Amino acid sequence: MKLLKDKVAKLSFVALLAASSAAMLYTPTAAAHGEKSQAAFMRMRTIHWFDMNWSKEEVKVNDTMTLSGKFFVFQGWPETVDKPEVAFLNVGEPGAVFIRQGSWIGGQLVPRSVSLELGETYEFKVLLKARRPGDWHVHAMMNVQGGGPIIGPGKWTTITGSMRDFVNPVTTLTGETLDLETYNLENTYFWHALWYALGLAWLAYWIRKPMFIPRSIAIESGKANTLITATDRKVGMAFVAGTIAIVATAMTSTNEKYPITTPLQAGLLRGMKPFEMPAKTVTVKVEDATYRVPGRAMQMTLKITNNGDSAVRLGEFNTASVRFLDSAVLEDTTSYPDDLLAEDGLTVSDNSPLAPGQTRTVQVTASDAAWEVYRLADLIYDPDSRFAGLLFFFDEAGKRQMITVDAPLIPVFI
Amino acid sequence: MSASQSAVRSRAEAVKVSRTFDWMILFTLFFVVLGGYHIHYMLTGGDWDFWTDWKDRRLWVTVAPIVSITFPAAVQACLWYRYRLPFGAVVCVLGLLLGEWVNRYLNFWGWTYFPVNFCFPSNLIPGAIVLDGIMLLGGSMTLTAVVGGLAWGLLFYPGNWPIIAPLHVPVEYNGMMMTLADLQGYNYVRTGTPEYIRMVEKGTLRTFGKDVAPVSAFFSGFVSIIIYFLWHFFGRWFAGTSFVSSENI
Repeated sequence: MKLLKDKVAKLSFVALLAASSAAMLYTPTAAAHGEKSQAAFMRMRTIHWFDMNWSKEEVKVNDTMTLSGKFFVFQGWPETVDKPEVAFLNVGEPGAVFIRQGSWIGGQLVPRSVSLELGETYEFKVLLKARRPGDWHVHAMMNVQGGGPIIGPGKWTTITGSMRDFVNPVTTLTGETLDLETYNLENTYFWHALWYALGLAWLAYWIRKPMFIPRSIAIESGKANTLITATDRKVGMAFVAGTIAIVATAMTSTNEKYPITTPLQAGLLRGMKPFEMPAKTVTVKVEDATYRVPGRAMQMTLKITNNGDSAVRLGEFNTASVRFLDSAVLEDTTSYPDDLLAEDGLTVSDNSPLAPGQTRTVQVTASDAAWEVYRLADLIYDPDSRFAGLLFFFDEAGKRQMITVDAPLIPVFI
Repeated sequence: MSASQSAVRSRAEAVKVSRTFDWMILFTLFFVVLGGYHIHYMLTGGDWDFWTDWKDRRLWVTVAPIVSITFPAAVQACLWYRYRLPFGAVVCVLGLLLGEWVNRYLNFWGWTYFPVNFCFPSNLIPGAIVLDGIMLLGGSMTLTAVVGGLAWGLLFYPGNWPIIAPLHVPVEYNGMMMTLADLQGYNYVRTGTPEYIRMVEKGTLRTFGKDVAPVSAFFSGFVSIIIYFLWHFFGRWFAGTSFVSSENI
């Protein structure tokens, strides 16, 4: 018997050691959210995020920062992704390192899911309160039912301080002010501990007596009825009656303590107010578009017509949150994430001001390592090989207008 | 020692061996059930059990008991018919809750920082004690299924209400009314759990107004009866020895 016990003890120890080692020796940090793994066409042809702003790059625990911007719900939404009739404005972050104190689309609070219209632009804002110290990659994100999360651009943000200092005060409609971070915790522990103790007591009553082998022998030999005694039945009755009594009493006292409670709130918010973009006076026709695989460059032939009253120049091509700029026209002043910004990534064969009434055909090249780094080049492996993006034109007064492009893309391998 | 000799030499030694086996079997049973039941419950009850803003008066009340009566019914069948031990349901739920608390504390709180007051598990112990008690007192699978299964469903909501009621106190937040549980779900960002997958307050039980929880609990109890029968037979089958050749015993 001792030999058996020793063997079990040894094997258990070895198993414990192996499990601990496997769990502890290799624990790499997850630095981002797999946004690069999301299919390129999803990032290019669904939600286009622009005018993004992270109000702070460093924030103390309990302080707030704002993530704001606009998103365009692309009218050429791919067939393989469900339309954003039920969507939720979310934040991509590694756990609840920030809490979401508020989120708004078009000025309306959106704690619930919303319905979005294709072809519309919406302004959004998310108010975040710092909770856990560290360097965190914080993204805007739109979850779409049937489509999955559509991730926007992310930026590294640093939270300083100690999580122990974090508080989340809330005042209820019954006038009580509480800290939601720790509220109801003792009550939860108390009830779970009480019921667990009662469960253990029930178990203890039965396991104090011989269990498996003698009882099995008794049943096999037809003495099953002798295994349950009168005392066992009385104890059973006491446990059943006691359980029902505790449940009933606890329910009554809880209702007395919390006379005002409401059901969980749910429902879809419709009628989100779109953002009115400036009227478009420029039209763009994509004559052709190719992606040169070895050169990490996308080239488009665009036929641009200016129907406005001021000359315009192309300043930016934005796709999948990567911004390709022509620095002669536009320089970024918003501290947009470096890895998503190609400051001189946009080349236009003739980017001189396009006069009112004039039409010009130009070669536009968007080139940057971001095509590879952000795996946008994988677009050529998609079943529907199309690209899409936003073109931003600027007139002489610096006014901007946004034009969307959506066209087939031909890969060039040699 | 030859194969025909007994492994023990005295009654005292036999009792000692028997008790050692008791502890080994109980220990193994507890952790095997903990693992299996925990995975089963996470896959079928999942978010309803994870988050306070899923613990509603309609679907949580309905779904959680139905999917959780499975292992208790099966283990109860095995322990009762083989050993006349009426603690199958309780041992399952104790295992499940231990696993859940370890998971919630180390994973949900320790790794992803969700407060424990937002992700604590549901309390299933009242129903388990009554289920075992009825099996003990009645000694009948049918009685346990009908009375115990119904009680399992009926006791679930009141057994949890003292824990969740404080989170159903309303709050006005930026011009909208929500419960504290809703606010927890909104405040503590879950990147992979958007609001729309939250299955709460859905259904057509509108004619019962605000008193929908008892109706949901009764429905849950009725379905729990059926599930109890099904899993009880799984347990009976699993506890059988017909698949072991007598020549090898």
